[in-house]
Amino acid sequence: MNSQGLNIIKREGTVEPFSIEKIKNAVRKAFLSVGSFATEEDLTNILSRIRISDRMNVEEIQNQVENALMAEKYFSVAKAYMLYRQKHTEDRATRDRLKFMINYCSAENPASGSKYDANANVEKKNIATLTGELPKAEFIRLNRRLLTDRLKEMYGKEVADKYIDLLNSHLIYKNDETSLANYCASITMYPWLLGGTMSIGGNSKPPTNLKSFCGGFINLVFIVSSMLSGACATPEFLMYMNYFISHEYGVDYYKRVDEVVDLSLKHRTIDKVITDCFEQIVYSINQPTGARNFQAVFWNISYYDRNYFESLFGDFIFPDGSRPVWDSLSWLQKRFMKWFNQERTKTVLTFPVETMALLTKDGDIKDKEYGDFTAFMYSQGHSFFTYLSDSVDSLSSCCRLRNEIIDNGFSYTLGAGGISTGSKSVLTVNLNRCIQYAARYEIPYFTFLEDIVELMHKAQLAYNENLKDLKDKGMLPLFDAGYINLERQYLTIGINGLVEAAEFLGIKVTDCEEYATFVQSVLGLIEQCNKKYRSKETMFNCEMIPAENVGVKNAKWDKEDGLKVTRDCYNSYFYIVEDESINVIDKIRLHGRKYIKHLTGGSALHLNLMEHLTQKQYRLLLKVAATEGCNYLTFNIPNTICNDCGHIDKRYLKQCPSCGSNNLDYMTRIIGYMKRVSNFSAERKKEAARRYYSYGDEIGNA
Amino acid sequence: MLRFYNYDIVFIEIPDEISLAINITGCPNRCKGCHSPHLQENIGEILTKEILEELMCLYGSAITCVCFMGGDSEPEEVVRLARIVRQINKEIKTAWYSGRDKLPEDLPVGEFNYIKIGRYIESLGGLKSKTTNQRLYKVEKLLLSEVVI
Repeated sequence: MNSQGLNIIKREGTVEPFSIEKIKNAVRKAFLSVGSFATEEDLTNILSRIRISDRMNVEEIQNQVENALMAEKYFSVAKAYMLYRQKHTEDRATRDRLKFMINYCSAENPASGSKYDANANVEKKNIATLTGELPKAEFIRLNRRLLTDRLKEMYGKEVADKYIDLLNSHLIYKNDETSLANYCASITMYPWLLGGTMSIGGNSKPPTNLKSFCGGFINLVFIVSSMLSGACATPEFLMYMNYFISHEYGVDYYKRVDEVVDLSLKHRTIDKVITDCFEQIVYSINQPTGARNFQAVFWNISYYDRNYFESLFGDFIFPDGSRPVWDSLSWLQKRFMKWFNQERTKTVLTFPVETMALLTKDGDIKDKEYGDFTAFMYSQGHSFFTYLSDSVDSLSSCCRLRNEIIDNGFSYTLGAGGISTGSKSVLTVNLNRCIQYAARYEIPYFTFLEDIVELMHKAQLAYNENLKDLKDKGMLPLFDAGYINLERQYLTIGINGLVEAAEFLGIKVTDCEEYATFVQSVLGLIEQCNKKYRSKETMFNCEMIPAENVGVKNAKWDKEDGLKVTRDCYNSYFYIVEDESINVIDKIRLHGRKYIKHLTGGSALHLNLMEHLTQKQYRLLLKVAATEGCNYLTFNIPNTICNDCGHIDKRYLKQCPSCGSNNLDYMTRIIGYMKRVSNFSAERKKEAARRYYSYGDEIGNA
Repeated sequence: MLRFYNYDIVFIEIPDEISLAINITGCPNRCKGCHSPHLQENIGEILTKEILEELMCLYGSAITCVCFMGGDSEPEEVVRLARIVRQINKEIKTAWYSGRDKLPEDLPVGEFNYIKIGRYIESLGGLKSKTTNQRLYKVEKLLLSEVVI
């Protein structure tokens, strides 16, 4: 063994000259630990079996030592040597964890400190958030093992190995791998109306009045969220609340809202009673939650125009036989929106994420009253999502997810069936890397991608089998109790790096034929596969994921591997966020029917503006969106928060209008939900700074 | 003959409209503190009838107004272009952002739905400033009524 001038690579990546003495010492120690002694001859025999090449890593050399000891038949010594290595590995793992703990404690905020799943929905780091961070690596290992075992059983070892390969080479990414629970769900609360929370492990009876509705609803959202890794949507929230208010104050309550109905010294009116209920629910749900590592629950609600209401709840019957009433519900929806908008000038409130569902017809909103009201609320500075659809056969009840409504029908156990849906699991493909790998290996990218997408479907089916197993063992009471339905939950194929892939291929990312064709071919391929793997009990959809941290990770990994990476955080839109030449109408078009046709799971267009528009202008833009077939959008105008006096302003300002301070923070959507920019992870902060807010020029200065 | 630097879809310039704003170059006003000095140079493509048609066709019914930003070196050309806009689509409104302090006497104001006048004076601020000297007018039956942004 000639070892002169050779270097080896240590575990931490540093290079140092190879020393044969170190191997000899390790072997001697191993012999001594079993009460034996290594002679020079022993050492020569063992070393003669070892081949060192330049820049070999330590692990590889140690593997060779193990093999050499075995080959020389020193079995007990080999065992001692292995145990010694294992102990050191464990020590190193503990040391790494300690290091992580120290780094986390001194990170600027929890999202920047998080190693696995940066999330701005945790505002302050503390012992509770740290406790949540530490076992994340274990969860990832466990989830991978569960899935590969199942893949092996269903499709063989080769497929299981390939899944791990694709994950390790960052061609695909398993979202929320740090949690055991299924992803997100839009629930029907009908089982709660019938039986309370007993069936899902709670101890409350069904709500009987407004007060028990409010308290029980908060508990319900917490229970449900603790069994999901993502969002919980309650599309029936206001409809049920309307039912309980009507029971308490009469079906015409909304016409008598100024009436005093409280005998206490407060002399509350009906309106005050209702807004107090809003306050109780919204503030409670925005609290950090112990069971979710101090994250607030992700809570989503929906509003409907008359058409949606009639389609979704037309056949709905409350347990007492009565039906929901549109006029009072419509009043309550509007009241909630206005109240929430106002409340946000007092406190930073992230949840609920709201979606207004509007039916469109002939390039405009069919329900004129709701079209105008939606535009009015935007002009009042309220930020929420709008979902537009030509038919009420689909609904977006989440901050991102779009669902086909399979059966709108009412059922006595499930309530409004159409709203009970969600995504069981999201598995995301890094399109930029796929396209560049295909080019590197000179494989047509379509063929390369097809292969990966096929495997993703198999992995998702394996996940589904594991979920069914959990359900069979009674681990998923939300399904058993009818809040969600296994067959109505999607297995989601996520995409990331689409724009970057187009850029790599030299395709201009504007509304042009070439780009549209590229998008359609990629998304069409996924949709085709979704259909191929669809069965009676499994449905797939495709979504452009918000990628709060996947966008950052993919860009980082790709850069490290020498791929062409045009930005530090991959886009979550069909356009380039920092491209100033793409105007508002171009953006709507780039999220129009031509591009989103095959995106069955949806993606939201975020129109970032510097200043609020007038009601008429928002109304016109909704019309443009309806004409272009852009089905999901929101407007973001950063809100200003003064760090000195606490004033919150709906406008994007450089100076606090209340105290004149320049020490300001801004609230905007990190992805689907709104947070202070100071809570964003370091990379996301940079991305937010690069976002182009249309029309920022001071006017009249041409 | 006027040249233009670029175009954008804007909202704040003309309230209640979605405007296609065309940034015309060769601005003769030379206001102190001008924040688009590149528009003072005579650069960019010539703004022809064909280009105007092309842009209006591209944005179709998504826009409600075409706003000419500048063009003070040739007001009669801005008028000609505004007429073309209305010939192409009579539903579309026309606007002119001029940096002059007074409109040319013989200007057919009826060709525009909105006119903004007034040079930019740094100490008084732009159109949104309370102390501004600039004015935005809505033209109705050849009468100018002030619009406050």
